[in-house]
Amino acid sequence: MVALSEFAPIGAMLLLAIVVGLLLLFISRILGPNKPTERKSAPYESGMKPIGPGTRRLPVRFYLIAVLFILFDIEVIFFLPWAVVFRKLGLFALVEMFIFIIILLVGYFYAWRKGALEWE
Amino acid sequence: MEIGIGAYVVLSAVLFTLGALGVMLRRNAIIVFMSVELMLNAANLAFVAFARQFNDVNGHLFVFFVITVAAAEVGIGLALIVAIFRTKKSINIDSMNQLKG
Amino acid sequence: MSEFDTLASYLSVAPEIGLTILLLIVLAFSVARREVERAAVPYIAGFGMIALAALPLIFAPGDANSTIPEGLYWGGMIRYDVLAQVFRVMILLAGGITALMASGVRGVGRRGEFYIVIIVATLGMSLMSASADLVMVFVALETTSIPLYILAAFKRDDTRSAESGIKYFLFGSFASAIMLYGLSLLYGFTGQTNIYQLAAFMGSDAFANNLVPVLASMVLVVVGFGFKVSAVPFHFWTPDVYEGAPTPVTGYVSVASKAASFALLVRFFVAVYPETLALSGESLQNFWIQLMAVFAVLSMTLGNVLALSQKNIKRLLAYSSIAQAGYTLIGVAAIQSQELSIASVGFYMFMYTFTNLAAFTVVILFSEATGSETIADLAGLNRRSPWLALAMTIALLSLAGIPPTAGFFGKFFVFNAAVRSGLTWLAVVGVLNAIVALYYYLVVIKVMYVDRSEDEDKPIPVGRQYVWVLWATSLIVIVLGTVGAQTVYDWAARGAMGLFT
Repeated sequence: MVALSEFAPIGAMLLLAIVVGLLLLFISRILGPNKPTERKSAPYESGMKPIGPGTRRLPVRFYLIAVLFILFDIEVIFFLPWAVVFRKLGLFALVEMFIFIIILLVGYFYAWRKGALEWE
Repeated sequence: MEIGIGAYVVLSAVLFTLGALGVMLRRNAIIVFMSVELMLNAANLAFVAFARQFNDVNGHLFVFFVITVAAAEVGIGLALIVAIFRTKKSINIDSMNQLKG
Repeated sequence: MSEFDTLASYLSVAPEIGLTILLLIVLAFSVARREVERAAVPYIAGFGMIALAALPLIFAPGDANSTIPEGLYWGGMIRYDVLAQVFRVMILLAGGITALMASGVRGVGRRGEFYIVIIVATLGMSLMSASADLVMVFVALETTSIPLYILAAFKRDDTRSAESGIKYFLFGSFASAIMLYGLSLLYGFTGQTNIYQLAAFMGSDAFANNLVPVLASMVLVVVGFGFKVSAVPFHFWTPDVYEGAPTPVTGYVSVASKAASFALLVRFFVAVYPETLALSGESLQNFWIQLMAVFAVLSMTLGNVLALSQKNIKRLLAYSSIAQAGYTLIGVAAIQSQELSIASVGFYMFMYTFTNLAAFTVVILFSEATGSETIADLAGLNRRSPWLALAMTIALLSLAGIPPTAGFFGKFFVFNAAVRSGLTWLAVVGVLNAIVALYYYLVVIKVMYVDRSEDEDKPIPVGRQYVWVLWATSLIVIVLGTVGAQTVYDWAARGAMGLFT
């Protein structure tokens, strides 16, 4: 039988997430200007029209963003096994991971410099 | 009921065969590519199942690498398919017939 | 290796570390603001890779007492030995020469990305030649393949280049997926990923009756390798990709990718399915010897016969490269002659690398000047640019295997290994094929020297870097065909010895 108290951190995390979320909504309601238009109050679907046929052509730029996203997103998978053995390997693992991240960053700046992140 | 290693290996073999058939029978470049991904993931399933059987971490590690490699392949594949669509206005494999002889 | 020897570990991957640093430098230069700096990219990449080829020679693998003893490094991922050294030198030189070759090509030469991708592909191949673990095998193969897909489609507005890229990509990723499944089976049999431990586990008594699954794994892996070395019946992508890809890329794929794949192929099969491994009383080595022999015969015959009717020089060289893969496979099939076999494969790839690069350099210069890749248009090349015609002649004679060029010794060593391992019939088929091949190589030479054309007064402009490349490759081809043959062969033979211990 697993003691319920073992789930306490998860419960605290949940509570914190809910509170922070509500707080952010509340603050923006008070501080932000509120001028609703028809477009603004429509359901948000990543900038696309929410109503219409499901199969339509997307601008090809989405593909470029998708490709870049996949590449940088998947690299995070290597952090997982690294995190597991990090304590065992110590400084060596830290240095190796820094090299890994620097190489990734160079790629990122290259994409940036090449204008791959510009929308127009 | 315990589901043994055999079931996983059979499932992965079925997925692999489906993927291979997809590559050979379908004509849409994106579907062909998705079938290749299915084959890679069939191999992943086999690796994880075997790793569990041997209680060995190497199989899991292999899967991490296959996933990243597959992501890189997706990146290149999508870019190539976009490029071919721009020039040919079609991604049907049969329309790629300019080079032959 | 029990303890983690830091210095030796890093030195065992010195070329790879060097390539990564070179990659970052080239990356920075290719987005530099000043035009002068961007124009330097091809030379930095080219001479950088050629300079890195010295690293495996400086940090040579030695015996147990040397700085870098021959053996496994990085938890068994890398095996650094003389064979890896031979192939790394070859691959790095090929990468550097390709970068220089590309510098004057329209739509390719001025774009920094091209050199970045070439360096990544070279990095993958360098790792392939030393891979000793299933994980490394797969990652290195893909680090090589994925950049090559990009390179094939590099002129993306050109329909032929885009088509070539997507064909290469779809067939290539299909072949890798099949191979990966074979690797997963090998892991499933043994629970090991190091290729030097697989055989011991598969040879255990508990495993003795599982001949069929092991054969299945072998067939799946063979498909992957067959694709990479463009052996018949996995060759169907080759002519299309070779014709459509930008010419420097074609040259690069035909030599470096093939050399790295053969390096991995011999290492993999000798280690995983050795002579000592017998299941249900059948030696597994006999199975793959037969497979390789069949592929060799098919590749040579089909490649040479189809090459006879080609009008496009790149397509001709594509079919010729299928045939050359066939000759090399004879060397692999001759494995029972032990180091004679592997040494002949190493020498063949060494001489083929420089021979084919020389041929492709001439094709690049010609098609940049005239916009044509048709064999008939080579007419009168001797009167237009005698040195180009001479370089092409040396390359073609070497491909045909005529002394005093390197190709003669390449074929001699391969056939010798075949005869010594009792495969005389295979050597005979090889010789017959070499005679057929001689015809279409001589046709090209005849067109260059005998046929006349109206453009004979227009010489072909040759940039300075191309002069260097042509002199270097032609000289190497001649030296390997005369005084240098024994040295390189002995070097490859030392590498071969390391594979059997």
